[in-house]
Amino acid sequence: MTNRNNPFLLANGKKPTCMEMLQLILDGEANHEQHEYFRSHMDQCMPCFKTYSLDMTIKELLKEKCCKDTVPAELIEQIKLQISQNTPS
Amino acid sequence: MEETPKQQYSNREKNDIFNLEFLPHINSMYNFAFRLTLDRDDAKDLVQDTYLKAYRFIESFQKGTNAKAWLFRILKNSFINDYRKKTKEPSKVDYQEVEAYYNSEEVDRQITPDLRVESLKDMIGDEISNALNSLDVDFRTVIILCDLEGFKYEEMAKILDIPIGTVRSRLHRARNLLKEKLSAYAKLMGYKNTEL
Ligand SMILES: [Zn+2]
Repeated sequence: MTNRNNPFLLANGKKPTCMEMLQLILDGEANHEQHEYFRSHMDQCMPCFKTYSLDMTIKELLKEKCCKDTVPAELIEQIKLQISQNTPS
Repeated sequence: MEETPKQQYSNREKNDIFNLEFLPHINSMYNFAFRLTLDRDDAKDLVQDTYLKAYRFIESFQKGTNAKAWLFRILKNSFINDYRKKTKEPSKVDYQEVEAYYNSEEVDRQITPDLRVESLKDMIGDEISNALNSLDVDFRTVIILCDLEGFKYEEMAKILDIPIGTVRSRLHRARNLLKEKLSAYAKLMGYKNTEL
């Protein structure tokens, strides 16, 4: 184990579980220090390494596969038209 | 998002805010609306309603603040008020159960043994999208906000009107449910591949 202070340490001084550390990373809430710490933690913790790889792959796939919809072009025009009709000039 | 004092904008300022701060988010908004309603026409209506409301309430919006979160919040509320009743989706999750789950020390439980990175990479069709759509709407929502849109806990808490602790536990549970769905797909794919 590294001697560095654990930057994930909770306010009450409690040591976070692997799951809690991993969740902050996955949820995009970890800061730079926490990322560094977790990276070296994974070198020694196979369950974290495996789960991290899996969860990050899912996260990337979600972004890749579920954001492709673009709004129908006429919708923007419709909205603008409605607003101009309802706005006293 | 908070109760801010009402702003006074001229029509020109209103239009600038609308065009420069609101409209750039319309693709994200449409995607969110579609993932909530799972219907393209409903999604269009929901986006339109949201933008018209946003314009009507524009003086509650402070220029230069987080327009995206503000718009997502309006959309989410419109969905709950106008659409959720229509879709007869059973969507009350037992959150106490969720909290209990989250607080349990079962770290190993998070590893779905039969789901591997390689089988995920083989999912080139709609499996991921279908798995997401099949989640209960409350779980689907947090995945969309976090993983697709990159919102922070604090922003999600405001968009959804729930405490940050609930955002965290809901996300945790949502990720596990999604993995269960995906591992079911992976198993199906495995059967198919051995048949060939
Ligand atoms: Zn670990």
